[in-house]
Amino acid sequence: MNQFTLQSRQRTFLIGFMLLGLLCMVITYLTDDALHTRFWTNYLHNTVFFLGIGFISLFILAAFTTSWAGWYVGMKRVWESFSLFLIPGLVLMIPIILGLWGHFHHLYHWADKAEVAKDAILTGKSGFLNPVWYTLGTLILVGAWIFFALKLRQLSVLEDTQGKGVADNFSIHRWIRFWSAVFLPIAGFSSAVLIWQWLMSVDSHWYSTMFAWYTGASWFVSAMALTILLLVYLKGQGYFAHVTTNHFHDLGKFLFAFSVFWTYLWFSQFMLIWYANIGEETIYFHERMTNYPALFYGNLILNFVLPFLVLMRNDSKRKTGIMVTGAVITFLGHWLDFFLMVKPGARHTAMEAMAGHGGHGEEAAHHALGVAAGFSYPGLLELGTMLGFLAFFLYFVLTRLEKASLLPHNDPYLQESKHHAVWPFAEHE
Amino acid sequence: MKTTHKEVLFGLYDDESVLLHAVHKAKHDHLEIMDVFTPFPVHGMEEALHLSESRLHIAGFIYGAIGALTGFLAMTWIFTRDWPIIFGGKPYWSVPAFIPITFEMTVLFASVGMVVTFFTVSGMGFGVTNPTLDDRITDDKFCIAFDVSQSEEEDVERLKGFFRESGASEVNTKTI
Repeated sequence: MNQFTLQSRQRTFLIGFMLLGLLCMVITYLTDDALHTRFWTNYLHNTVFFLGIGFISLFILAAFTTSWAGWYVGMKRVWESFSLFLIPGLVLMIPIILGLWGHFHHLYHWADKAEVAKDAILTGKSGFLNPVWYTLGTLILVGAWIFFALKLRQLSVLEDTQGKGVADNFSIHRWIRFWSAVFLPIAGFSSAVLIWQWLMSVDSHWYSTMFAWYTGASWFVSAMALTILLLVYLKGQGYFAHVTTNHFHDLGKFLFAFSVFWTYLWFSQFMLIWYANIGEETIYFHERMTNYPALFYGNLILNFVLPFLVLMRNDSKRKTGIMVTGAVITFLGHWLDFFLMVKPGARHTAMEAMAGHGGHGEEAAHHALGVAAGFSYPGLLELGTMLGFLAFFLYFVLTRLEKASLLPHNDPYLQESKHHAVWPFAEHE
Repeated sequence: MKTTHKEVLFGLYDDESVLLHAVHKAKHDHLEIMDVFTPFPVHGMEEALHLSESRLHIAGFIYGAIGALTGFLAMTWIFTRDWPIIFGGKPYWSVPAFIPITFEMTVLFASVGMVVTFFTVSGMGFGVTNPTLDDRITDDKFCIAFDVSQSEEEDVERLKGFFRESGASEVNTKTI
């Protein structure tokens, strides 16, 4: 079966979860504090998380195309569909942008003009951290990503019907290669800028040069985990017969390798700050280690220790059950990682704002910190919101998947992908 | 040390794909191959020879674990017992600072240990010299070898026939 059709049962299921997500968001909004901090942090957290999965899928496609890889071709329609999620992702970012101008959320400390005026550090950063740049950066850069996503998708689908192979010297494929190569350097720089704006500026005083790559690695692992889970499910439905254990083995290597890469960046960021011991830098970790210890250390266990030990063995990457376990752990783990990036800073900002600008805000913020669902740990509402976003993501991706053949018929690397073998002992299993 | 001499009949091939087909044919004809020698790893040879999975990586994991422990415990001993120094007001037992050294020791132990183990189990350990069937199998020839010490004349003829049919460019015998 090379043509995917979303059955009405699956459609109902996904729409049900979307409604659950919506319900959870409404409940969060109604039961929230005066500034709706919990609602807005959840919204930013999930939007950036799933938007990033879309972006990194486009990056994966471009990187694999540029490096002349062949093995992934049989599953490239999944990543193409993931990358198209950039479009709804940008739409989801718009309420946050509007909130900066209309001041109906307090996610960013630097968005508060009165605070910036009396704060030397924020004044110094205000050339970059201001609503104009936030708006322009998001619209222009995500707009550019969408342009590349559409370009690669259109050319790839066009190749199915118009590709003539050797007869016209793979002209369509050469265009895919061209746009991929153009996208890569743009992706590298632009993603860093957007990560600074969307996530790092939540802790407005703080900065780290490692942060962009660290977040990018988190997106990468999440995208791989979601790819594995979706492919396992679709294979169970009888699709993707040409995706074999060998392909899963390679996806597992990526999941493993980028979990270790994420740990490397996490630790590099941590150790440099710990070693230099400069107050304005260490505050980021001090805050998280003191007030959010379960999330802080749990993050390392879920995203490093467990995937490292579970996925290390060669043959564990060839067993569906172990791979699904590893993918679920890392997916939830990196969702929690983003949770921990967004929540403490935004909570602090909101508490200062609520305590008023009278000068005692800072102090009040420190005293008011306690264990609270939605901040110290993700409550049921956060879980429901995440499931809603996930259902929306999958609904969008699966309806895109319907639009084209699952097998890119005229891709020059298709045969290589079909005969992909990485493990000489497969027949003895 | 007592050495048993073996009478080896071996054929040399010019190309690895011809060699791979020959190995498949030998397996199909139920000929008992003593060993195959190639100048570089040939893709698909493990399956053709029905070799089982190497256990080298298990050894690698154990060496790595020993390396990690050695690195971490050595740092702990040096900076808490042997020569405690205060760096930038940090405690003596500063775990984050020990991680890079622990990591490096893990890599060092795993890599050196695996190389030594690999050479030893391949019969190329320290002080061991192995007879070479033909110097050219370390350069550009591919070789299939049969042990014919116990073989009858007609079996040897059969093997020579196999070499002719499977495209060997040369057939020789050597006592090792």
